[in-house]
Amino acid sequence: MVHAGKQLMTGLGVILLSAVLAVGCYAMDYPEEIEIDSLVNLYEAVVFDHAMHVDATENCSECHHHTTGTGVANEYCAKCHNGNEEMDLVACVDCHSADPLSPENLHNPTPDFVYHNDQPNLKAAYHLNCIGCHKEVDGPTGCEDCHAKTEAGDKFYHSGEFAPKESAHSSGH
Amino acid sequence: MSKITRRRFLAGSAAGGAALMLTPAQKALAAGSFEGFPEGMGVLVDLTRCVGCRTCEAACNEEQHLPEPSKPFDDFSVFDEIHHGQKRRTTDKAYTIVNRYDVKDTEEPLYRKIQCNHCNEPACLTSCFVNAYKKTPEGAVIYNSKVCVGCRNCMIACPFHIPAYSYHSVLNPVIKKCIFCYDTRLKEGKPPACVESCPQQVMTFGKRKDLMKIAHERIKKNPDTYVNHVYGEKEVGGTGWFYLSNAPFEEAGFDTDLPKKPIIDNVKDFLAIVPMVLTIWPALFTGFHLLATKGKSHGHGDDHSHDEQEGH
Amino acid sequence: MKKLATYGVKPHDAGMKSDGQQWSLMEKLLLGLTLDQYIGQVLRNKLNWFLAIIFAIGIPVILYRFVFSLGAVTHSSYDYPWGLFLGFGLFCMVPLSASGFMLGTTVEIFGRHDFEPIERLALLNGLLGYFFAVVYLLVDLGQPWRLSYPMVYSFGPAAVLFLVGWHVATYLSVQVAEVSTAFFEWIGFQRGYDFIRKGTVGLTVSGIILSTLHQGALGALFLYAPGKVHPLWYSSAFQWIHFFTSSIPAGLCMVICVSTVVIYTMKWRCDQRFIDNLDRITISLAKGAAMGLSTYLIIKLIAVAHDNEWAYLMTGWGAWWLFEIVGFVFAPLVILSYAIRNKLVGLCRIGAFITVAGILLNRLNTALITFNWKLYQEIPHKWEIIISITIFAIYITTYRFILNRLPILYQYKSKADE
Ligand code: SF4
Ligand code: SF4
Ligand code: SF4
Repeated sequence: MVHAGKQLMTGLGVILLSAVLAVGCYAMDYPEEIEIDSLVNLYEAVVFDHAMHVDATENCSECHHHTTGTGVANEYCAKCHNGNEEMDLVACVDCHSADPLSPENLHNPTPDFVYHNDQPNLKAAYHLNCIGCHKEVDGPTGCEDCHAKTEAGDKFYHSGEFAPKESAHSSGH
Repeated sequence: MSKITRRRFLAGSAAGGAALMLTPAQKALAAGSFEGFPEGMGVLVDLTRCVGCRTCEAACNEEQHLPEPSKPFDDFSVFDEIHHGQKRRTTDKAYTIVNRYDVKDTEEPLYRKIQCNHCNEPACLTSCFVNAYKKTPEGAVIYNSKVCVGCRNCMIACPFHIPAYSYHSVLNPVIKKCIFCYDTRLKEGKPPACVESCPQQVMTFGKRKDLMKIAHERIKKNPDTYVNHVYGEKEVGGTGWFYLSNAPFEEAGFDTDLPKKPIIDNVKDFLAIVPMVLTIWPALFTGFHLLATKGKSHGHGDDHSHDEQEGH
Repeated sequence: MKKLATYGVKPHDAGMKSDGQQWSLMEKLLLGLTLDQYIGQVLRNKLNWFLAIIFAIGIPVILYRFVFSLGAVTHSSYDYPWGLFLGFGLFCMVPLSASGFMLGTTVEIFGRHDFEPIERLALLNGLLGYFFAVVYLLVDLGQPWRLSYPMVYSFGPAAVLFLVGWHVATYLSVQVAEVSTAFFEWIGFQRGYDFIRKGTVGLTVSGIILSTLHQGALGALFLYAPGKVHPLWYSSAFQWIHFFTSSIPAGLCMVICVSTVVIYTMKWRCDQRFIDNLDRITISLAKGAAMGLSTYLIIKLIAVAHDNEWAYLMTGWGAWWLFEIVGFVFAPLVILSYAIRNKLVGLCRIGAFITVAGILLNRLNTALITFNWKLYQEIPHKWEIIISITIFAIYITTYRFILNRLPILYQYKSKADE
């Protein structure tokens, strides 16, 4: 997770983009499954069941804001975006940069006149969106409900076979 | 002893003493009028986003090469740990800690990440008598353990209970605290490990002044979500890391009684009297002495023959 | 000693023996007794046995602290970084040692030579108190071998502790110089005696300056922790004044206490001048202490009014505060005033002991008991307590060792009586 970022799945982008161009939500076509492997050093890749989520939600804009041409869920977005137009950029990563904290990005900050100056990065965009909604609909929210830890992950969290041998010394005093 | 010698001695000692101790006092007065570096970096911490996954704790442990934790970082029983009736705090083995708070009016608990707040005018820094602390232009409050004597005054002074001490080291016990990942990251303009590791982007890294704007925008856009206060904007003179919350800050364990002024402002009044005492006292008491002993014998009882007390 | 006196043995108190011979250093150290006599009286003294037991337990613990780190003998608390070593050793010992500069001022600056019989005791009390405050500090510092850093290597001039450090160090040297006159007399170094004696006024004035500042500075140290010290013990405007004014009765009463102990247990060492004058001086000192106490009491109340903290008086902490102020400031003030008016020396002494206890309570309250009042209270580790007691026992031993020998309680004669 710490080393998240750069190798953000070009693959994913390509799948999504082509899918989006080919079809529309409800009216358009969409990928059935998306494999998300940006945290692959700590966790196994997550296979996201997009089709299931399409069925479970009423409107694409619940996740895709105003980019799918299916209306606008958030009143703030609606102030500018009327939501009836399908946009070229639909995949999360198209707007939510994988690594907005890279030194380059930090040294070229968004100019003051840009309205979207507070976008979460890709990792946060996923998690905020998923967990935010899962809390409301009682979906899974624990880390390992979605992510299976790799050995590197266990090492990072000092868990599993890397768990502290004896917890005799107190953690704080 | 003649008056001349005495006066000369006095003048000498007083001037010497004053010179010796005026300089530090003046420097002390000048210190503390400092507003933080304008281009300094900071971190906006949005408590509404935190899910208590403790990834940031693990990231800090790895980045700072801290010793093995007593429990795995994915063990959430730590949230129930109570020491002396208190939740966990930062230690010499953990520079950052996530705690869970049960707040009124919501079912969801609130999680709060604790680490050094990298104050604009750090109390730890101003209380240190060997000047071990430094506020870098990048915004970090770092620490030179090579000069630390171990008086632990900074631990007394820090209003956030942050610095810890490696009490168990025999030969080189020193202060340990979050350093904003200065050596490994901040210096090169990179965000700290904990910030980068967080799945929820609870922490946003950037220039403090830009982040402050964003913080207020978030409140403006979501007035129903946030408490209308940015904790750390003004507290103790402003902190480099500051907080947004959906529950009143005191319910999330923040000390909301802290003064708005930097801690050093408290001490300035006292430091201001130092030069006064140094300059006025010698004259005053020499005057007293000359008055009190005028026309009287200067003999002291210890000149062996002088056993009777002098009548007064 | 009492027993020896009945055999007609007289302690060493003059430069030359009655037959005109010089005392050798060894004879001086043995108080002019023979080795057998000396050891005999050491073994007869019960206090020595008591101290020996403390040392037997405590000194290994002190060594243990240096071999196995501070963490091994304290709770290693991050919330209570200052434990008993500083809470008692520094914050209590320093005000109780304010006697040096006060009596010095009275005698040397105000020319009140009627206080002279007790001046050296007061100076010694000051010197030893400061010295042992530094000893406590050395035990408490994580890296005591870096003690000189703030003096020579790395300066943090904005820090109050920097001021305290510099002043305690300088003042300690001033006090060494002041007390050295007694030592020079004893060792028979007239030139050194004359040299220091000439500078007395200068030394005394620098003593006043340094003392005013660092007694206050110890209070100002807590200005760094608003919110941690309970508001009733904290006052951003008056903290240093509280510490300074309370150090006046503290120092004076400490001298009364020590002189009381001395007159009851070491009468053989006191000369007639000391014995004859002590009652009168005790009452005069009590007067000073009573004035100091009343000023202190008033400023304490002003501080509560200034920060409008009356509401706190209704809480448990308020009751504790009232206990301290009524029981240990107001009560001794009443006792002392009554005793002064009726010239009751014994009552003055009782008042002095209560005042000293009150100062201890106040400093411990500020530094430990009400510190972190919003968090929790911590009872110091048992070894921390043992070490503190041991150092105090070393303090008492040193004190006694010096009182027994140097001309503090008696005037040094050039030639012993027949
Ligand atoms: S990593 Fe982020 S979400 Fe997880 S506990 Fe830390 S701050 Fe909270
Ligand atoms: S939070 Fe505490 S340790 Fe960190 S800079 Fe501020 S005063 Fe210093
Ligand atoms: S900034 Fe660095 S040192 Fe500080 S808590 Fe985060 S990871 Fe640890």
